Amino acid sequence: MLSEERIILMTRMASYEQGEGKKNVRIGNYFRSDYIALQTLKAIVCAILVFGILFGLYVLCNFEDLMENLYKMDLLAFAKEVLTYFVAMVGGYAVLVYIVCTWRYASAKKSLKCYYHNLKKLNSLYQDGQ
Amino acid sequence: MTVLLEMKERIKLIYSKSEAFIVPAIKFLLAFIVFNTLNGRMGYMTRITDMKIVLIAALACSFLPLGLMVLMAAVFSLMHMYALSMEVALVGLCMYLVMYLLFFRFSPKDSLVVVLTPLLFSLKIPYVVPIAVGLLCGPSSLVSVGCGIAVFYLLRTVIDSAPNIRTMGEDEILEKVRMMVESILGNKAMLVMIAAFAITVLAVYLIRRMSVDYSWTIAMVAGAMINVVLLLIGDLLYDVNLSVGSVLLGSLLAIVVAKVVEFFRFCVDYSRTEKVQFEDDEYYYYVKAVPKMAVAVPTKTVKRINTPRSGETRSGASRQSGRSVDVERTAPDRSGSRNVPRNGAGAQNREARKGQRSMTVGKAERPQEPDDNLEGYEEWP
Repeated sequence: MLSEERIILMTRMASYEQGEGKKNVRIGNYFRSDYIALQTLKAIVCAILVFGILFGLYVLCNFEDLMENLYKMDLLAFAKEVLTYFVAMVGGYAVLVYIVCTWRYASAKKSLKCYYHNLKKLNSLYQDGQ
Repeated sequence: MTVLLEMKERIKLIYSKSEAFIVPAIKFLLAFIVFNTLNGRMGYMTRITDMKIVLIAALACSFLPLGLMVLMAAVFSLMHMYALSMEVALVGLCMYLVMYLLFFRFSPKDSLVVVLTPLLFSLKIPYVVPIAVGLLCGPSSLVSVGCGIAVFYLLRTVIDSAPNIRTMGEDEILEKVRMMVESILGNKAMLVMIAAFAITVLAVYLIRRMSVDYSWTIAMVAGAMINVVLLLIGDLLYDVNLSVGSVLLGSLLAIVVAKVVEFFRFCVDYSRTEKVQFEDDEYYYYVKAVPKMAVAVPTKTVKRINTPRSGETRSGASRQSGRSVDVERTAPDRSGSRNVPRNGAGAQNREARKGQRSMTVGKAERPQEPDDNLEGYEEWP
């Protein structure tokens, strides 16, 4: 015998699982600290790559000036400047990603709480039906 | 208005029945237009301007995820840049990598925006983008809009610099790289556009999410005005040579397009708004329910009468020999019907929808009874 309430609930849950739930379940499988640490690590690697690309472009654009002044310029000060930009860029981007991932994890957990509540409700409907 | 609503329901019915064909067809068309536009504007590599290559690429994009269309469009543009000059292709590749590594992690599912933004810019209707994105997407989509604008200006810089680059020698590598980088970084029009569009997307998103009546309309108009004002301020400060007339006309067109988007996406009837309050064990709820505007699509009914016999049942569909009468109910307004709270407001909503359902006249249908379990009725295809 078909129970309409169960079918409605299951349809809603299936639709959630296929749509928004896919992403949220993947996020929910991690502990909070693990998820944020993983995403921040990925962000740091990407930021380092981007810094390398931008630094390479800067060197290409100013190649002649750099070659001319290589022996006259204060290399230590230049290296300190480059390092400052590197830390600012990578650090700033890592902080931004940390904030975004914290928010994403919290909203995914909130959404999954509703889903698990529906799952419990479905379970109790089955038990009542038996 | 009823005609438009009926047309909308018909379109939704057609889409739901043929989604498996319509979506690939739309993706094919979009990919074809994008690749053709790229070939038309750039066209430096003659091998990929062949229509067969474009058709094959568009066909591949129609069946694969949208992200691949973005990737193929990037590859097409890089190939044209490589045919012009290796240094230009290098700068283009660096820019695409920076966008992908830094920005696409925030809104990876908005790849369509990255493709549509440069396309609409090239079609001279760019002001639709921030308003439509603000209405349909979230705030993270402003990153995709910014990336789309950057891609458009990169391609425009390449096209504008092409005659100069062709005259330069092959050993002038550094000069070409410097020229490209300085043209892109010093492009104030691009920076003004990115700033104005980002603020517009955010403003439209925040306003349309407010719980005031006509929030979408207010968001569209406010977004267009904010966009115009910001572009004019940018033009005054940085002298980017924007045409005021085209900005104003483009913004008006953007409002018209946004109105069409609103009709399909968020068509509600504010005159039948209901405000209810109720509580459960945990919370006290203040709910504002705004019913969607929908009409049932009239359907044809076939009445076959063979020989007059007695014994027709009340339920209508009788299989008794001799007489078969098909009484077909029109599709009831089921939008949000299952989400109606089980309280006094539910009865009011059902009353409102009953009035709406009785508008579909002219067909053989059983008169609606108040006790009908209409929410449980399911029309099987």
